Amino acid sequence: MEAVVCIKPVPEADSRLRVAASGVTYDPEGVRYTLNSTYDEAALEEALRLKEAGAFEKVRVVSVGPPRAEEGLRYALAMGGDEGLLVETRPDDLLDPGFTAAVLAEAVRSLPHDLVLVGRRAGDDEAGVVGSALGEHLGIPSFAFVTGLTVSGGGSPLKVRRFTEAGEELLSVPPPVVISLLKGAQDPRTPTLPNILKARRKPLLREPWTEVLSRHPGAPVRAPAMRFELPPPRTGAHLVDYQSPAEAAEKLVKLLREEAKVL
Amino acid sequence: MSPTALVVADPRSPVGIRTTLEALGAARALLDRSGGGKVALALLGHGLGDVPEAAKRWGADQVLVLDDPRLAIFRSETYAWGAEGLVKRLAPPVVVLLPGSTMGRELVGRLSARLGGGGTSEALELELEETRGLRVRRPLFGGKASETLSLPFPAVASLRPNAFAPSEASAAAPVEAVELPKAGPAGPGAELLERSPVPVSDTPPLTQAPVVVSGGRGLRGPENWPLLEDLARALGAGLGASRAVVDAGWRPAAEQVGQTGASVSPQLYVAVGISGAIQHLVGMSSSRCIVAINTDPSAPIFKVADYGVVGDALVLLPPLTEAIRRARAGAGP
Repeated sequence: MEAVVCIKPVPEADSRLRVAASGVTYDPEGVRYTLNSTYDEAALEEALRLKEAGAFEKVRVVSVGPPRAEEGLRYALAMGGDEGLLVETRPDDLLDPGFTAAVLAEAVRSLPHDLVLVGRRAGDDEAGVVGSALGEHLGIPSFAFVTGLTVSGGGSPLKVRRFTEAGEELLSVPPPVVISLLKGAQDPRTPTLPNILKARRKPLLREPWTEVLSRHPGAPVRAPAMRFELPPPRTGAHLVDYQSPAEAAEKLVKLLREEAKVL
Repeated sequence: MSPTALVVADPRSPVGIRTTLEALGAARALLDRSGGGKVALALLGHGLGDVPEAAKRWGADQVLVLDDPRLAIFRSETYAWGAEGLVKRLAPPVVVLLPGSTMGRELVGRLSARLGGGGTSEALELELEETRGLRVRRPLFGGKASETLSLPFPAVASLRPNAFAPSEASAAAPVEAVELPKAGPAGPGAELLERSPVPVSDTPPLTQAPVVVSGGRGLRGPENWPLLEDLARALGAGLGASRAVVDAGWRPAAEQVGQTGASVSPQLYVAVGISGAIQHLVGMSSSRCIVAINTDPSAPIFKVADYGVVGDALVLLPPLTEAIRRARAGAGP
């Protein structure tokens, strides 16, 4: 069996965001990007562990993104991925998650994919939309909020443990399937220097997204961003002034009841 | 041409029901603002028992029941297929609103791909655009920013928990049982091997709790957590923790709030002994009201908080818990 892991570089959490001139997204100037979203690295780690346990012959990594996404793919190959595929966008192509899923589906379809692993959500839009949309476009089942995965290989059903608010469920699911991991079981590995060097020679294919999408049946709808906004700067906390802990408590409760109306 | 709203219920758990009521409340408010329209509630499952009887008073105009063995466990495939059948019965344009439970958040991607309209998750605000679709404002980067999308009809959006007022109890709406076509989604399904009960806890799950109380290093050690738990109980709050105390092994990883933990947006967030590293702020700064208690007046948490108390948490917590208990007792049930 073979696995595909989908990854995405996202801005670092402490990036200073500014509204772009277009008003519909942020200004990439000055934003530092992670190589890959934390959740995606957890998904890749899971796939690599399953491969090491003999479940897969190959783990391929796919990213839809601008040319700099190649760095993230190289990092994924240094972690242990076998091959990479970059579906390349231009910096001013704004692809919403639903549209990205349609593009990604055609990329994944061109690869053997008994298991498609995605992270819980991207660190930027936090949408969590791609996993099940990908399943729909590929015409295969998908499961999200997955907390544990057992793959015995040879095409036998996967054991999928997932979170629900009504309790954890253990399911038996025949491949191929899309799995959206809630969180990796283990910390993602850090590539060693020899593996980083080796990754430079691993195959990494690039294809423009428009070409990949041309293989998609029908035209997926786009949900354009109309506005990008930053919240008004917080003015800082109203600090409660007090003589005794009891007075602090009374004053705070009064503010929460009468001013904030949250009690 | 007034639109129709379809809410797909998640009656499987208390959280599912609460977020379903929020979706019904959001649907009604959305339609009322643009001249009315019908709100339909979809109940999907197998062996639904008395759920339809209860759900007809949840505030919808119509309850559509799909009770079918193929819907016995939640799978986005079968549920999207069932919901698609219902969408086609309703007068267009149709807006589908999904609860902010795991079910709603998983279904949104597949259902919007299937319907061929626009879809998104974590909606904070909804507005109808005359003929085009649904405008949705949603958070980005853990609430550090927001975007407004225009979703073409049929639009599908799952809602951010706690962002919309739940619907009020209503007179009984008509209930209609709908048959699913014999031919279902292709391919073999999943088999449920076991279901483990929800761990017994007197605090609600973190990501959906309307109030969250989190503790950090300022509590000085795991032995002081009972003080925080007392406050959480008084507020009916979920319990969170900073990364520092999870890394130190004081609290389980499941309680971590922040970039690598849970992202929360409750009505009230109380940060106790948390300095407010960016890692933590990313996971909670979209909360509606933030209270911080910390000994250091220059701690970054006071920059994002609405109210702050500078002082020792161990001294401040007991009287605060007591004052909240009194306030709540005075407020009646």
